[in-house]
Amino acid sequence: MNGKAIGSSLYAIVTKQKAFIAILVMLIGMLFSHTNFYSAYNLLDMLNSTSILLILAFGVTMTVVAGGCDLSIGGILVVSGIIAIKLLDVMPMGLAILIAVLFGAVVGFVNGFLVVHQRTEPFIITLGMGLLLTGVAQQLTDAHPVPAKNPAFMMIGNGDILGVPNLVLIMAVCFGLCFWLMRYTQFGRNLYAIGGDYEVALYSGINVVRTKWIAFVLCGTSAALAGVLLSSKLNTGSSIYGEMTALVVNCGVVVGGTSFAGGIGGIPQSALGLLVFGMLDNVMNMLCITSYYQVMLKGIVIVAIIWLDCFTQKRKREFV
Amino acid sequence: MQKRNSVLKVTASMLRDYLVLVMIALLVAVTAIVEPKFMSGANLVNIMRQFGPLIMVSLGMTFVIIGGFIDLSVAGTINLVAVVTISLIQPLGQVPALLVGLLIGAVCGALNSGVILSSGALTQAEALFLTFGMSTVYSALALLYSHGSTMHFWDIQKSKSIFEAIGAGRAGPLPLSFVIFLVILALLWIFQTKTTEGRAISLTGGNKTAAHLSGVNISRAIVVVYTICGFMAGVGAIVLFSRITTAAPVIGAGYETNAILSVVVGGTTLKGGKGSVLRTVMGVLLVILMSNCLDLLGVSTYLQVVVKGAILVVAIWLDNRKQA
Repeated sequence: MNGKAIGSSLYAIVTKQKAFIAILVMLIGMLFSHTNFYSAYNLLDMLNSTSILLILAFGVTMTVVAGGCDLSIGGILVVSGIIAIKLLDVMPMGLAILIAVLFGAVVGFVNGFLVVHQRTEPFIITLGMGLLLTGVAQQLTDAHPVPAKNPAFMMIGNGDILGVPNLVLIMAVCFGLCFWLMRYTQFGRNLYAIGGDYEVALYSGINVVRTKWIAFVLCGTSAALAGVLLSSKLNTGSSIYGEMTALVVNCGVVVGGTSFAGGIGGIPQSALGLLVFGMLDNVMNMLCITSYYQVMLKGIVIVAIIWLDCFTQKRKREFV
Repeated sequence: MQKRNSVLKVTASMLRDYLVLVMIALLVAVTAIVEPKFMSGANLVNIMRQFGPLIMVSLGMTFVIIGGFIDLSVAGTINLVAVVTISLIQPLGQVPALLVGLLIGAVCGALNSGVILSSGALTQAEALFLTFGMSTVYSALALLYSHGSTMHFWDIQKSKSIFEAIGAGRAGPLPLSFVIFLVILALLWIFQTKTTEGRAISLTGGNKTAAHLSGVNISRAIVVVYTICGFMAGVGAIVLFSRITTAAPVIGAGYETNAILSVVVGGTTLKGGKGSVLRTVMGVLLVILMSNCLDLLGVSTYLQVVVKGAILVVAIWLDNRKQA
C-alpha cells in the first residue's frame, strides 16, 4: 500500500514537473562527464543563447494560457529583425527598433482579430500567417542575409554589463514583467479564467474578446522584440532563422507544463520548458554528438513530453 | 418576390461553396488574356506534371483532416522515403525498392497513429505537435541514412525505367504521373464515398463521442487515416524524386504546409467530418495554376509565398465564417 502511494506521488511529480526533472537529469548526468559544462562561462553562454527563445516563449505562454496558440512568431521574428536592420540606414536606432517592435504588435493585432474576434482555429490561421510573413521576409531580403552597418546596434545583442550579457538582462526584465502581468494583475488572472472555461469567463463579466486579443498583441510584440535582438546578436537579418522557431517554442511552452487545454501553466514553467531545449543543445554539443543525432534526440524529446502531456490529460478525463 | 430571394440565397451559398472553382475560372481567364502562352499545349502538360507530388500528399492529408486530425509529419516521411528508395534501386532492383518505399511511408503513418492513440490525444493541436516531433525524427533518420548527401539517378547503374517513366514518361497525350494520379483519385474517391470505413472516417471527424456511441471504431478510423496519409506521402516522395531525378534528405520541406493549404482551400473544413478528395483536387489545381500564372507573369517566388500565405489565411477565415 505504501509502495503504491509512493508510486502515485512519484507519478504525479513526473507528470507535473516533466521539464524540471529533465533538467535535473541533465545536470546530474553532466557531473559525471569530463567537460567544461559546469563553468560559469558555459552556463552563462547557455542562458545567453536561450534568451531569445525565452522571450518568444513568454509571449506565447499568454496566448496558450488563454486557450490559443501562436505559430506565426517565426515569421514575426525574421521580418521584424529585417525591418530593424533595413531602417537603421535611414533613421536613428531607437526609432528603427520601435517601428520593428510595433510591426510585431500589428501582426499580433491581426492574429487576435482573426482568432478571437472571428473565432478561427488559432494554430492553423497563425501557421498561414507565419507562411505569409516568411514570404515577406524573403521578398524584403531577396533571400540573402542583410548585414547591419551600425556597430551600436550590434552591441545590444553582444555587449554585457558587469559580465552579464545584455540579452540575459533583457530576458530577465521581460521575465519579471510578464510574470507580474500574469500573476498579479487583473489582466493575467482573466487570461487564466478564459483559458479555463471560455463560457464561464464570458458570463462572469470578463471582457473575453479584449483580454484574449491583448494577449495576442503582446505575443506579437515579444516576438518582434526577440527578432530585433536576434538580428542584433547575429548582426544580420535573414529570412531563414525562423523556420522551426515557432513550433519549437510552442513545444517548449507545453513541455514546461502550460497545457494546450488552456488555463494551466505560467511564465516560470515556460522558462523551464525552453531551458530544457537550451540545455539539451548545450549538453549535446558538449558531448560531441553528431548534429543529425541531435535533431533526432530533439524530436524524440518533443514526442515523449507531448505524449506524456496528452496521456495525463486522458487520465484526468477518465477520473472525471 | 420571396422566390427571387431564395434563388439569390441559393446562388450565394453555391458561390461560397464553389468559390474555388470561380477563382480558378477567373485565374485562367485573366492569365490567358494577359499571356496567351498559358493555353499552349506545352504549358498544359507542364501544369499536369506539376500536379504530381503535391496532389498525392494532399489527397492523403484530406483523409486526416476529414477525420478531424492533422499530420505535419509528411515532410519527414517524404525525406525518409525518397532517400531510402533511391538508395535501394542499386542493391535490390527497382520493383523491390519501390515497394519498400511505399511500405516505409505506410509504416511511418501507422506509427503516427500509434503515438496519437496511445497518448489519447483528441484534439488537432495535440496531433499537430506530436506529428511535428515525429517529422523531426523521420527527417533525422533520413539525414543519418543518407549522411546528409544528395543522391542522383546518374549514379545508379541498374535499370530505373519505372522511375524514369513516372518522372518523364507519357501515356498517350498525358504525362504518366497524371494518369497515376487519376487512378489513385478514383480509388480513393470510391473508398471515401462507397465504403463503410470511408463513412466511419467522416463520422469520427464530425463528432468522436457520437461516432463512438453509434458503434464506429474510432481507433481503427484514426489508424486508417494516418496510414493512408503516410502511404500517399510515400507515393508523393517517389513521384517527386522521379521528376527531379535526385533525392536529398530535405526534399520534403514545405510539403506539409502546402498540402494543408490545398486541402483547406479546396473546401474541406478543418473542423473535420466534411470534405472530399475531389475538393482537394480543386484546391491543388488552384495552388498550381496560381504559381504557374504568377510564374508566367514574372512574379518573384518570394512574393508567391506571400500570396500563398494570404490565400491560406483568407480561405480559413471564409471557411470559418461559413461554419458560423
